[in-house]
Amino acid sequence: MTRWFENIVIDETFPLGSHTFTAEEIIDFATLYDPQYFHIDPEAAKHSHFGGLIASGWHTVSVGHRRMVDALEAEAERLRELGEEPGVSGPSPGVNSMDFKVPVRPGDTVTYELVVTGKRPSNSLPGWGLLFNRLTATNQRGELVYRAELVGFSKLRDYRMPLKLRLLLALTKIPVIGPRLTRST
Amino acid sequence: MTNPVTRDRRHFEDLVEGEIIDLGHTKVTKEMITTFARQFDPFPFHLDEEAARKSLLGGLSSSGWQTGGLSLRMLVDSFLSKIASCGGLGFTDLKWQNPVMVDDIIGGTVTIAALRRSGSHPKWGIVTLDFDVRNQNDKPVLTMRLANLVECREVAA
Repeated sequence: MTRWFENIVIDETFPLGSHTFTAEEIIDFATLYDPQYFHIDPEAAKHSHFGGLIASGWHTVSVGHRRMVDALEAEAERLRELGEEPGVSGPSPGVNSMDFKVPVRPGDTVTYELVVTGKRPSNSLPGWGLLFNRLTATNQRGELVYRAELVGFSKLRDYRMPLKLRLLLALTKIPVIGPRLTRST
Repeated sequence: MTNPVTRDRRHFEDLVEGEIIDLGHTKVTKEMITTFARQFDPFPFHLDEEAARKSLLGGLSSSGWQTGGLSLRMLVDSFLSKIASCGGLGFTDLKWQNPVMVDDIIGGTVTIAALRRSGSHPKWGIVTLDFDVRNQNDKPVLTMRLANLVECREVAA
Protein backbone atom coordinates (compact mmCIF):
# COMPACT_ATOMS: atom_id res chain seq x y z
CA MET A 1 0.00 0.00 0.00
CA THR A 2 1.20 3.48 -0.76
CA ARG A 3 -0.78 4.84 2.15
CA TRP A 4 0.46 4.89 5.69
CA PHE A 5 -0.83 2.01 7.78
CA GLU A 6 -3.01 4.37 9.81
CA ASN A 7 -4.81 5.66 6.68
CA ILE A 8 -5.67 2.32 5.11
CA VAL A 9 -9.40 1.68 5.06
CA ILE A 10 -10.74 -1.84 5.49
CA ASP A 11 -12.87 -3.17 2.60
CA GLU A 12 -11.80 -0.42 0.22
CA THR A 13 -11.31 -1.75 -3.32
CA PHE A 14 -8.36 -0.86 -5.55
CA PRO A 15 -8.64 -1.65 -9.29
CA LEU A 16 -5.29 -2.94 -10.58
CA GLY A 17 -5.99 -3.03 -14.31
CA SER A 18 -6.09 -5.83 -16.89
CA HIS A 19 -3.81 -8.05 -18.92
CA THR A 20 -4.48 -10.02 -22.14
CA PHE A 21 -2.55 -13.30 -22.30
CA THR A 22 -1.02 -14.44 -25.61
CA ALA A 23 -0.12 -18.06 -26.45
CA GLU A 24 3.50 -16.99 -26.88
CA GLU A 25 3.88 -15.53 -23.40
CA ILE A 26 1.99 -18.47 -21.83
CA ILE A 27 4.50 -20.87 -23.42
CA ASP A 28 7.51 -18.66 -22.61
CA PHE A 29 6.64 -18.44 -18.91
CA ALA A 30 5.78 -22.13 -18.56
CA THR A 31 8.94 -23.23 -20.39
CA LEU A 32 10.94 -21.67 -17.56
CA TYR A 33 8.73 -22.27 -14.53
CA ASP A 34 5.96 -24.82 -15.17
CA PRO A 35 6.71 -26.98 -18.26
CA GLN A 36 3.69 -29.29 -18.05
CA TYR A 37 2.33 -30.33 -21.47
CA PHE A 38 -0.93 -28.32 -21.21
CA HIS A 39 1.10 -25.12 -20.58
CA ILE A 40 3.77 -25.50 -23.33
CA ASP A 41 2.48 -27.76 -26.14
CA PRO A 42 -0.76 -26.64 -27.89
CA GLU A 43 -1.09 -29.99 -29.73
CA ALA A 44 -0.56 -32.26 -26.71
CA ALA A 45 -2.77 -29.93 -24.64
CA LYS A 46 -5.77 -30.99 -26.78
CA HIS A 47 -5.63 -34.39 -25.04
CA SER A 48 -5.89 -32.81 -21.59
CA HIS A 49 -9.28 -32.21 -19.97
CA PHE A 50 -8.76 -28.49 -20.68
CA GLY A 51 -8.91 -29.30 -24.42
CA GLY A 52 -6.16 -26.80 -25.25
CA LEU A 53 -3.35 -24.60 -24.02
CA ILE A 54 -3.84 -22.86 -20.65
CA ALA A 55 -1.60 -20.49 -18.67
CA SER A 56 0.26 -21.74 -15.61
CA GLY A 57 -1.48 -20.51 -12.47
CA TRP A 58 1.90 -19.22 -11.35
CA HIS A 59 1.99 -17.07 -14.51
CA THR A 60 -1.44 -15.48 -13.93
CA VAL A 61 -0.41 -14.81 -10.32
CA SER A 62 2.94 -13.25 -11.34
CA VAL A 63 1.11 -10.94 -13.77
CA GLY A 64 -1.31 -10.04 -10.95
CA HIS A 65 1.67 -9.12 -8.79
CA ARG A 66 3.04 -6.88 -11.56
CA ARG A 67 -0.34 -5.17 -11.89
CA MET A 68 -0.27 -4.52 -8.13
CA VAL A 69 3.30 -3.11 -8.18
CA ASP A 70 2.36 -0.75 -11.04
CA ALA A 71 -0.85 0.41 -9.32
CA LEU A 72 1.04 1.12 -6.08
CA GLU A 73 3.74 3.06 -7.92
CA ALA A 74 1.10 5.12 -9.78
CA GLU A 75 -0.66 5.90 -6.47
CA ALA A 76 2.68 6.91 -4.86
CA GLU A 77 3.38 9.20 -7.82
CA ARG A 78 -0.08 10.79 -7.49
CA LEU A 79 0.52 11.48 -3.79
CA ARG A 80 3.95 13.02 -4.51
CA GLU A 81 2.35 15.35 -7.03
CA LEU A 82 -0.11 16.43 -4.33
CA GLY A 83 2.89 17.22 -2.13
CA GLU A 84 2.23 14.29 0.23
CA GLU A 85 4.74 11.70 1.28
CA PRO A 86 3.59 8.22 0.23
CA GLY A 87 3.52 5.38 2.75
CA VAL A 88 6.11 2.62 2.69
CA SER A 89 5.34 -1.04 2.05
CA GLY A 90 7.73 -3.79 3.07
CA PRO A 91 8.46 -7.37 2.03
CA SER A 92 5.65 -9.92 2.13
CA PRO A 93 5.92 -12.73 4.68
CA GLY A 94 3.63 -15.01 2.68
CA VAL A 95 0.27 -16.02 1.25
CA ASN A 96 -2.46 -17.55 3.39
CA SER A 97 -4.34 -19.12 0.48
CA MET A 98 -4.53 -19.20 -3.31
CA ASP A 99 -7.48 -20.77 -5.14
CA PHE A 100 -7.28 -21.34 -8.88
CA LYS A 101 -10.83 -21.45 -10.29
CA VAL A 102 -11.10 -21.05 -14.09
CA PRO A 103 -8.12 -21.57 -16.44
CA VAL A 104 -6.73 -18.72 -18.57
CA ARG A 105 -6.55 -19.43 -22.31
CA PRO A 106 -4.72 -17.50 -25.07
CA GLY A 107 -6.63 -14.29 -25.82
CA ASP A 108 -8.29 -14.10 -22.40
CA THR A 109 -8.26 -10.72 -20.66
CA VAL A 110 -7.87 -10.91 -16.89
CA THR A 111 -8.84 -7.99 -14.64
CA TYR A 112 -7.26 -7.71 -11.18
CA GLU A 113 -8.62 -6.08 -8.02
CA LEU A 114 -7.29 -5.67 -4.47
CA VAL A 115 -9.29 -5.35 -1.23
CA VAL A 116 -7.75 -4.78 2.20
CA THR A 117 -9.65 -7.16 4.48
CA GLY A 118 -7.81 -6.50 7.74
CA LYS A 119 -4.83 -4.88 9.46
CA ARG A 120 -2.97 -5.00 12.76
CA PRO A 121 0.40 -3.80 14.14
CA SER A 122 3.13 -6.41 13.70
CA ASN A 123 4.31 -8.28 16.81
CA SER A 124 7.65 -9.29 15.33
CA LEU A 125 8.65 -6.11 13.45
CA PRO A 126 8.33 -2.93 15.60
CA GLY A 127 7.23 0.10 13.60
CA TRP A 128 5.41 -1.95 10.99
CA GLY A 129 1.84 -3.13 10.52
CA LEU A 130 0.47 -6.26 8.86
CA LEU A 131 -2.03 -5.90 6.03
CA PHE A 132 -4.34 -8.68 4.93
CA ASN A 133 -5.11 -8.25 1.24
CA ARG A 134 -7.49 -10.16 -1.02
CA LEU A 135 -6.50 -10.15 -4.68
CA THR A 136 -9.10 -11.36 -7.19
CA ALA A 137 -8.60 -12.04 -10.89
CA THR A 138 -11.63 -12.18 -13.20
CA ASN A 139 -11.80 -12.99 -16.93
CA GLN A 140 -13.71 -11.15 -19.67
CA ARG A 141 -16.79 -13.31 -19.02
CA GLY A 142 -16.86 -12.29 -15.35
CA GLU A 143 -15.64 -15.72 -14.17
CA LEU A 144 -13.29 -15.86 -11.18
CA VAL A 145 -9.80 -16.94 -12.32
CA TYR A 146 -8.21 -16.94 -8.87
CA ARG A 147 -8.55 -15.52 -5.41
CA ALA A 148 -5.53 -14.92 -3.17
CA GLU A 149 -5.36 -14.02 0.51
CA LEU A 150 -2.03 -12.17 0.83
CA VAL A 151 -0.13 -10.78 3.80
CA GLY A 152 2.02 -7.65 3.53
CA PHE A 153 3.98 -5.25 5.73
CA SER A 154 3.18 -1.53 5.84
CA LYS A 155 5.14 1.08 7.79
CA LEU A 156 3.50 2.88 10.72
CA ARG A 157 3.63 6.67 10.37
CA ASP A 158 2.93 7.48 14.02
CA TYR A 159 5.28 4.88 15.48
CA ARG A 160 7.42 6.02 18.38
CA MET A 161 10.12 3.61 19.44
CA PRO A 162 9.87 2.47 23.09
CA LEU A 163 12.41 4.13 25.43
CA LYS A 164 14.30 0.84 25.97
CA LEU A 165 14.88 0.38 22.22
CA ARG A 166 15.89 4.03 21.75
CA LEU A 167 18.47 3.74 24.56
CA LEU A 168 19.85 0.53 23.04
CA LEU A 169 20.11 2.17 19.64
CA ALA A 170 21.93 5.16 21.18
CA LEU A 171 24.38 2.80 22.92
CA THR A 172 25.25 1.05 19.65
CA LYS A 173 26.44 4.42 18.30
CA ILE A 174 29.11 4.83 21.00
CA PRO A 175 32.46 3.73 19.45
CA VAL A 176 33.66 1.38 22.20
CA ILE A 177 30.36 -0.12 23.35
CA GLY A 178 28.54 -0.21 20.01
CA PRO A 179 30.59 -2.88 18.19
CA ARG A 180 30.44 -5.16 21.24
CA LEU A 181 26.66 -4.85 21.45
CA THR A 182 26.06 -5.51 17.77
CA ARG A 183 28.54 -8.42 17.77
CA SER A 184 26.65 -10.17 20.53
CA THR A 185 23.26 -9.95 18.78
CA MET B 1 -10.93 -42.49 -23.50
CA THR B 2 -7.31 -42.70 -22.48
CA ASN B 3 -5.08 -39.66 -22.62
CA PRO B 4 -2.11 -40.70 -24.85
CA VAL B 5 0.17 -38.11 -23.20
CA THR B 6 -0.24 -39.44 -19.67
CA ARG B 7 -1.12 -43.13 -20.38
CA ASP B 8 2.23 -44.51 -19.23
CA ARG B 9 2.75 -42.16 -16.30
CA ARG B 10 2.01 -42.83 -12.65
CA HIS B 11 -1.67 -42.28 -11.83
CA PHE B 12 -3.45 -41.41 -8.60
CA GLU B 13 -3.56 -45.08 -7.50
CA ASP B 14 0.25 -45.33 -7.81
CA LEU B 15 0.99 -42.51 -5.37
CA VAL B 16 1.78 -43.19 -1.71
CA GLU B 17 1.20 -40.95 1.29
CA GLY B 18 4.51 -40.04 2.94
CA GLU B 19 6.47 -40.39 -0.30
CA ILE B 20 9.35 -37.90 -0.38
CA ILE B 21 10.31 -36.28 -3.70
CA ASP B 22 13.86 -34.97 -4.07
CA LEU B 23 13.70 -31.60 -5.87
CA GLY B 24 17.39 -31.46 -6.77
CA HIS B 25 18.99 -27.99 -6.90
CA THR B 26 18.87 -24.73 -8.83
CA LYS B 27 21.44 -21.93 -8.81
CA VAL B 28 19.76 -18.53 -8.85
CA THR B 29 21.88 -16.15 -10.90
CA LYS B 30 21.81 -12.35 -11.06
CA GLU B 31 20.56 -12.54 -14.63
CA MET B 32 17.64 -14.82 -13.66
CA ILE B 33 16.68 -12.46 -10.81
CA THR B 34 16.73 -9.25 -12.86
CA THR B 35 15.01 -10.82 -15.89
CA PHE B 36 12.08 -12.02 -13.78
CA ALA B 37 11.92 -8.77 -11.80
CA ARG B 38 11.83 -6.58 -14.92
CA GLN B 39 8.74 -8.47 -16.08
CA PHE B 40 6.85 -9.19 -12.86
CA ASP B 41 8.31 -7.47 -9.78
CA PRO B 42 10.19 -4.28 -10.74
CA PHE B 43 11.24 -3.12 -7.27
CA PRO B 44 14.78 -1.65 -7.05
CA PHE B 45 15.91 -4.36 -4.56
CA HIS B 46 15.23 -7.03 -7.23
CA LEU B 47 16.75 -5.02 -10.13
CA ASP B 48 19.61 -2.80 -9.10
CA GLU B 49 22.63 -3.97 -7.07
CA GLU B 50 23.43 -0.49 -5.76
CA ALA B 51 19.85 0.15 -4.57
CA ALA B 52 19.63 -3.39 -3.18
CA ARG B 53 22.76 -2.88 -1.06
CA LYS B 54 21.03 0.03 0.70
CA SER B 55 17.74 -1.86 1.19
CA LEU B 56 16.52 -3.91 4.16
CA LEU B 57 18.07 -7.12 2.76
CA GLY B 58 21.47 -5.61 1.93
CA GLY B 59 21.78 -7.12 -1.54
CA LEU B 60 20.03 -8.25 -4.70
CA SER B 61 17.35 -10.86 -3.90
CA SER B 62 14.87 -12.77 -6.04
CA SER B 63 11.17 -11.94 -6.14
CA GLY B 64 9.26 -14.29 -3.84
CA TRP B 65 7.13 -15.23 -6.83
CA GLN B 66 10.27 -16.26 -8.70
CA THR B 67 11.42 -18.39 -5.75
CA GLY B 68 8.01 -20.06 -5.89
CA GLY B 69 8.21 -20.48 -9.67
CA LEU B 70 11.66 -22.08 -9.44
CA SER B 71 10.40 -24.41 -6.70
CA LEU B 72 7.47 -25.36 -8.93
CA ARG B 73 9.87 -25.96 -11.84
CA MET B 74 11.91 -28.37 -9.72
CA LEU B 75 8.68 -30.21 -8.80
CA VAL B 76 7.61 -30.44 -12.46
CA ASP B 77 10.98 -31.94 -13.43
CA SER B 78 11.14 -34.39 -10.54
CA PHE B 79 7.46 -35.35 -10.17
CA LEU B 80 4.61 -33.56 -11.98
CA SER B 81 5.94 -34.42 -15.48
CA LYS B 82 6.10 -38.10 -14.45
CA ILE B 83 2.53 -38.40 -13.16
CA ALA B 84 -0.85 -37.92 -14.89
CA SER B 85 -1.14 -34.37 -13.53
CA CYS B 86 -4.13 -32.33 -14.64
CA GLY B 87 -3.35 -28.99 -13.07
CA GLY B 88 -3.08 -27.25 -9.73
CA LEU B 89 -6.04 -26.31 -7.53
CA GLY B 90 -4.11 -23.80 -5.46
CA PHE B 91 -2.03 -23.65 -2.31
CA THR B 92 -2.13 -22.60 1.33
CA ASP B 93 0.37 -21.31 3.90
CA LEU B 94 3.04 -20.08 1.51
CA LYS B 95 5.87 -18.58 3.58
CA TRP B 96 9.04 -16.87 2.41
CA GLN B 97 11.25 -17.40 5.46
CA ASN B 98 14.52 -16.04 4.08
CA PRO B 99 15.40 -14.09 0.95
CA VAL B 100 17.17 -15.80 -1.97
CA MET B 101 20.29 -13.81 -2.86
CA VAL B 102 22.44 -13.82 -6.03
CA ASP B 103 24.15 -17.19 -6.64
CA ASP B 104 22.29 -18.95 -3.82
CA ILE B 105 21.61 -22.60 -4.56
CA ILE B 106 18.09 -23.63 -3.62
CA GLY B 107 16.69 -27.14 -3.40
CA GLY B 108 14.90 -29.47 -1.03
CA THR B 109 12.06 -31.92 -0.82
CA VAL B 110 8.34 -32.21 -1.38
CA THR B 111 6.35 -34.73 0.68
CA ILE B 112 3.02 -36.28 -0.32
CA ALA B 113 1.01 -35.18 2.72
CA ALA B 114 -2.42 -36.49 1.68
CA LEU B 115 -4.27 -38.31 -1.11
CA ARG B 116 -8.02 -38.22 -1.65
CA ARG B 117 -10.50 -38.80 -4.46
CA SER B 118 -12.22 -35.74 -5.89
CA GLY B 119 -15.75 -35.25 -4.61
CA SER B 120 -16.96 -33.73 -7.87
CA HIS B 121 -15.11 -35.69 -10.57
CA PRO B 122 -15.01 -39.54 -10.60
CA LYS B 123 -11.79 -39.72 -12.66
CA TRP B 124 -9.74 -37.34 -10.53
CA GLY B 125 -7.79 -37.52 -7.32
CA ILE B 126 -6.21 -34.72 -5.31
CA VAL B 127 -2.63 -34.95 -4.10
CA THR B 128 -1.53 -32.58 -1.33
CA LEU B 129 2.17 -31.69 -1.48
CA ASP B 130 4.29 -30.05 1.26
CA PHE B 131 7.27 -28.02 0.00
CA ASP B 132 10.43 -27.59 2.07
CA VAL B 133 12.85 -25.48 0.01
CA ARG B 134 16.20 -24.41 1.51
CA ASN B 135 19.35 -22.57 0.50
CA GLN B 136 22.93 -23.91 0.45
CA ASN B 137 23.26 -23.15 4.18
CA ASP B 138 20.18 -25.27 4.97
CA LYS B 139 18.17 -22.17 5.84
CA PRO B 140 14.49 -22.40 4.83
CA VAL B 141 13.50 -20.08 1.97
CA LEU B 142 10.02 -21.34 1.07
CA THR B 143 7.36 -23.64 2.46
CA MET B 144 3.86 -24.17 1.11
CA ARG B 145 1.12 -26.77 0.77
CA LEU B 146 0.05 -27.31 -2.87
CA ALA B 147 -3.05 -29.20 -4.05
CA ASN B 148 -2.79 -30.81 -7.50
CA LEU B 149 -5.27 -32.88 -9.55
CA VAL B 150 -4.20 -36.31 -10.82
CA GLU B 151 -6.00 -38.66 -13.21
CA CYS B 152 -7.20 -41.95 -11.71
CA ARG B 153 -6.87 -45.25 -13.60
CA GLU B 154 -10.21 -46.52 -12.29
CA VAL B 155 -13.39 -44.47 -12.15
CA ALA B 156 -14.72 -44.12 -8.60
CA ALA B 157 -17.68 -46.41 -7.86
